[in-house]
Amino acid sequence: MRGIRKEFPGVVANDEVSFEVRRGEVHALLGENGAGKSTLMNILYGLYRPDGGEIRLNGKPVSFSSAREAINAGIGMVHQHFMLIPVMTVAENVVLGTEPVREGVLLDERAAARRVADMAKTFNFAVDPEALVEDISVGQQQRVEIMKALYRNADVLILDEPTAVLTPQEASDLFDILQTLRQEGMSIIFISHKLNEVLEIADRITVLRRGKTIETVSRHGATEASLARAMVGRDVLLRVDKPQAATGDVLLTVQDLHVRDDRGIEKVRGVSLDVRAGEIVGIAGVDGNGQSELIDALTGLQKIESGAVTIAGRELSHASARAALDAGIGHIPEDRQRRGLVLEFSIAENIALHDYAKPPTARSGWLFPGRMVQRAKTLIKEFDVRGGGPLTRAGGLSGGNQQKLVVAREIDRDPKVLIAAQPTRGLDVGAIEYLHRRLVAERDEGRAILLISLELEEILSLSDRILVLFEGEIVGEHTGEVSEETIGLEMLGGGEKAVA
Amino acid sequence: MNTWTARLENPLSARLRDPATTGAFGILLGAFAAFLAIPPIEARTVTWPILFGIVAAALGIWTVTRGRRRLGWGAVAAGLLGIGLGILATRSSTGNLESAFDATLVAQTLGFSTPLVFGAIGGMFSERSGVVNIGLEGMMLMGAFWGVYGADKGGSWAVGLLVAMGVGGLLALVYAFFAIHLRADQIVGGTAVNFLAVGITGYFFIELYNNNPIHNGVSLLPNVHVPGLPVNPDNPHGFVDFLGQAVGDLSILTWAGLALVILAYVVLFKTPIGLRIRACGEHPRAADTVGINVYVIRYGCVILSGMLAALGGIYLSEGPQGNGTFIFNMTNGRGFIALAAMIFGNWRPAGAAAAALLFGFSSALALKLQVYSQSAGTLFQILPYVLTLIAVAGVIGRTVAPAADGKPYAKQ
Amino acid sequence: MSDPGPSPTPEEAAETGTLAASIALKQRAGGIIVPVVTVVFAFVMSFIIVAATQHSVHTALVVFKEIFLGSGLNWLAHPTTNTFTSISAYNLSQTLLQTTPLILTGLAVAFAFRCGMFNIGGNGQYLVGLIVANWLGVDFAGLNPFLHILLCMSAGTLAAAAYAGIAGVLKATVGAHEVISTIMLNWIAYWTASWLFGAGGALQNSTSPTNPVSNQVSPGARLPDFWGKQGFQGLHVGIFVSLAAVVVFWILLNRTTLGYEVRAVGFNPDAAAYGGINVKKNFIRAMAISGAFAGLAGTLDMLGGAQNYQVGQLDIPFIQVGFIGIAVALLGRNTAVGTLLGALLFGGLLYGSFHGLGSSSVIDPTLASNLTYIIQGLVVLFVGADVLILYVWNSRKKARRRPRGKPAERVEATT
Repeated sequence: MRGIRKEFPGVVANDEVSFEVRRGEVHALLGENGAGKSTLMNILYGLYRPDGGEIRLNGKPVSFSSAREAINAGIGMVHQHFMLIPVMTVAENVVLGTEPVREGVLLDERAAARRVADMAKTFNFAVDPEALVEDISVGQQQRVEIMKALYRNADVLILDEPTAVLTPQEASDLFDILQTLRQEGMSIIFISHKLNEVLEIADRITVLRRGKTIETVSRHGATEASLARAMVGRDVLLRVDKPQAATGDVLLTVQDLHVRDDRGIEKVRGVSLDVRAGEIVGIAGVDGNGQSELIDALTGLQKIESGAVTIAGRELSHASARAALDAGIGHIPEDRQRRGLVLEFSIAENIALHDYAKPPTARSGWLFPGRMVQRAKTLIKEFDVRGGGPLTRAGGLSGGNQQKLVVAREIDRDPKVLIAAQPTRGLDVGAIEYLHRRLVAERDEGRAILLISLELEEILSLSDRILVLFEGEIVGEHTGEVSEETIGLEMLGGGEKAVA
Repeated sequence: MNTWTARLENPLSARLRDPATTGAFGILLGAFAAFLAIPPIEARTVTWPILFGIVAAALGIWTVTRGRRRLGWGAVAAGLLGIGLGILATRSSTGNLESAFDATLVAQTLGFSTPLVFGAIGGMFSERSGVVNIGLEGMMLMGAFWGVYGADKGGSWAVGLLVAMGVGGLLALVYAFFAIHLRADQIVGGTAVNFLAVGITGYFFIELYNNNPIHNGVSLLPNVHVPGLPVNPDNPHGFVDFLGQAVGDLSILTWAGLALVILAYVVLFKTPIGLRIRACGEHPRAADTVGINVYVIRYGCVILSGMLAALGGIYLSEGPQGNGTFIFNMTNGRGFIALAAMIFGNWRPAGAAAAALLFGFSSALALKLQVYSQSAGTLFQILPYVLTLIAVAGVIGRTVAPAADGKPYAKQ
Repeated sequence: MSDPGPSPTPEEAAETGTLAASIALKQRAGGIIVPVVTVVFAFVMSFIIVAATQHSVHTALVVFKEIFLGSGLNWLAHPTTNTFTSISAYNLSQTLLQTTPLILTGLAVAFAFRCGMFNIGGNGQYLVGLIVANWLGVDFAGLNPFLHILLCMSAGTLAAAAYAGIAGVLKATVGAHEVISTIMLNWIAYWTASWLFGAGGALQNSTSPTNPVSNQVSPGARLPDFWGKQGFQGLHVGIFVSLAAVVVFWILLNRTTLGYEVRAVGFNPDAAAYGGINVKKNFIRAMAISGAFAGLAGTLDMLGGAQNYQVGQLDIPFIQVGFIGIAVALLGRNTAVGTLLGALLFGGLLYGSFHGLGSSSVIDPTLASNLTYIIQGLVVLFVGADVLILYVWNSRKKARRRPRGKPAERVEATT
């Protein structure tokens, strides 16, 4: 791929990106969230059309206008979110679109199952072709995705953040599979933002930053530090200057909390923690290890199985969202567009989202829009929300200003406990710095802050105390200086506690 | 943990949703239906045993489509047996029931079921590909009118069939364009289709036929005479006569409908195209990434559903009951019963067909029972809707629509 | 702040968001222009149908002129020079009589829409109101007229609210889709009415037991006419109830916390739950309120114009009122004033085409009445799909700005 350019409204996702993959190599595409890795691969796979540049396959220039063309050219892709149909069998999923046929028209289920079983045996996949996809583990589902590519005779395989959803054991199995595939002469493009795994599996590494190619290096000679520098473009990681925490009373206590998700799977398994006034407790962990369920349980959005949640001395184990809010919980949700804001509402209406039924906004069921607007005016000024007035639709604001709006609302309620989930996701550096400063300031105001983030860097720089969540359990607790490696290991279930 | 403790730990609601419970309950209900008719209760009307019997059979169909085949068919059998026993028991006391329960009831059940089967299977194709089709009623109505028109002007029922399918498909194409291409809300679009069909058929009915309902000499859909069976025995007795009355003289579309059920099952579950259709209804993005053209599949399925619904419609006007007569808004909710049958049958051909037969049976009974109690007849008309409402309520097991049903798909 | 991150484009939200959210988006993009264009488009297309089938543009013009005159809306141009005895004044009174229930069934659909639900069961709820009003209107003969009317109206309204509430409860508790359940409830109500009023039914006419028709509502329970002459069917006071309902609808939505909850749930149930709003409770409550509007329409029709119910009558009032409400609400963009205007349009269309052409020799009047359905269908089709208009709108705007594509923030989030 040479000189690939792709623009989206307001952003250049790929700017003159070039890289090449050799036969029989694992080539990693490394970059932070938003560096343009997935966009690049979607172009290669025919899902997006590039605005410029050219793609050459085996020396010949190609242009794909659909996934089908890319598949026919021998490109396979394992998407971050699996493209599998849960209610169909493994074999059906694998052959879909390129089905074996008997007697001219009928689907040859037996041939399909046999081909899949053969493949599974060759590559040691341990997947039952007759099983329904919804019944097998995430790791196995990923293998089904790989088989889909193999079945279509792909010789270039793209894996988009393949380890994000895997347990360490599953990840290690995946690496074994990738080694086998490489030996078979397959070219593998491995997209990741994790330094350690890139160094473990890749032959060569191309680093992307803000839509541009930074460098392509061989694994030999590359170090985590050198790659990190290329990735983020600076030596020093973002650090927040913050004074020592002056902690007070315990405001949030969680005891032996168990939570099941909507499908009945236990996602939080016996979490106990407490957060004191004036401290930031960070929860580190790989996505999907129970963070969302923990947050939802604390904020009354999800029923808890057992255990106790206490906020400022008030027992709130089985309380509604309303009761949790009234007890003094503030919550910056992980997805501001899906949950944090009603995008169709005005700024004023969004600011009233928690307290729309309380004076002065309302009295005995009557709403006073004028007062809502007044309050909005004050907060817009105080929190420097730009892009509109109280009656502007929240959906019309930029991401950073939307997040400021959420933060303004949560902080203005003067919560005792503030839960901040992924507070800087998708924001630019300026907005991130603002939010980080603000969180520290609120800590110094004496609030208890629980920070949940997938960005380890953010956890490290903000937290006074760090808890590591792995498969629904707290597997590590750290105060003071701690290395990224230690926590990283624990996040993947490799910590002492998990071993013991 | 052994199974017994596992059962104990299951909450009651979960056990109620278990198809096994449903099936067992169905069998019990069937027994109860029979029990009602015999001493000591000895229900004076046959309504209650039949009502309970039908509900039992419905539970059975339900259970079958949720995977517990043997138990489910058991419940169906128990329900039918209950009805039979109930009839037998009350028959001795009430003389005029004899006219209600004979072989023609079977024929009428099949007759009433025919349009429902076509509509339900049509709707199933559409929804399996991911497009909700509540416009079935309208597409059916179009078939009813334009079918007569085609048969009249073309001089043959075969022309009528083709015209009906063509017009039904055309209306479906319009709907498909709005639902798929313009990504309009599918419920709104389907509602519009229903309005349009009432207006268009009503308008042209007056324009072309001056509101005159009967057209003598229109070529009608032929009936199929099964060789060896007496069509209209003078003094029916014995099994052969019974069979003759029941299935000896059915419309060609009734047989076609039964064949369609089998064909639909094969296409949907045994061919590559069926696999692709289901993929589009479950996860269109996944289908797209393996190179399946979601739009083409969905267009095809929606148009097919329009054509099939129109066939159901032409049966109403050109079939044995219709006699080449079109009446303003003559479908009168049958498209919605077809939709209900599809939902009740859990988006499966056999289930939808079984539900259509059951609903057809209750319509046939409604007609028969009018002879001696009109209000009882009406009661049976409500039954399909009540059963479907209970079904979607999910108190007795879950109705599982295709995951992407009703969601427009936008290519990236 | 320079972070790239516009909110989703309308198309995006239309496909991912709730129904209410996508409609709101369309509204912003098209404003009042879209409904107007939609109506014009629908009229033009039905005009073409008439012109083509009658082989005469002139006839088509006359037909539409007759429909307009038949609706009596021309009376508004010179109200002082005409008395009620003039044909235009009478026509207008009849148009408003048709409009009265349409406003309410329109509001019913609109209210549910604002809570993110599609109440397609307005017809069933209307029938429940009709049945209860007939029952009580017949039974409590001799009661103080005011109390009697109040009793019939409130009981019918509450019954319809409870009936619609079934769909709300099913949605809230087991997640049954309200469209399916309200369709079923429609037909259950329809056949229940046939059962009750049919031969041998509990509410069937006591004087002629073979006739499938209900008793007449007792004179004391009838809504008084205020515009009309003795012997003519005049305009009854129900229109004021409908107009009051428009005001109630607006206040409820925009000036109460209940309305705030409804709108929040309608736009984004996840955010509403996060805000401490009980989403399930709102589903049930909004559905019940929606049903109340439709049920009220039924009581007005029973106590006003109809006064009895005839089984199997495929006439517009009983079979279609709830369904036309869908067109009314969609055309009115689910707003109070829009619904009022939409109801007036369809009321005029219904009466104008059905009766206005009765004296006309230009075209068979029943032919014209079917035009109403066609126009209605086209309106719903186009209103539901104003993505079409949106599409043109946006591509024009985007052509001025930059090429189309996914919004930046989504990309970052998935990279």
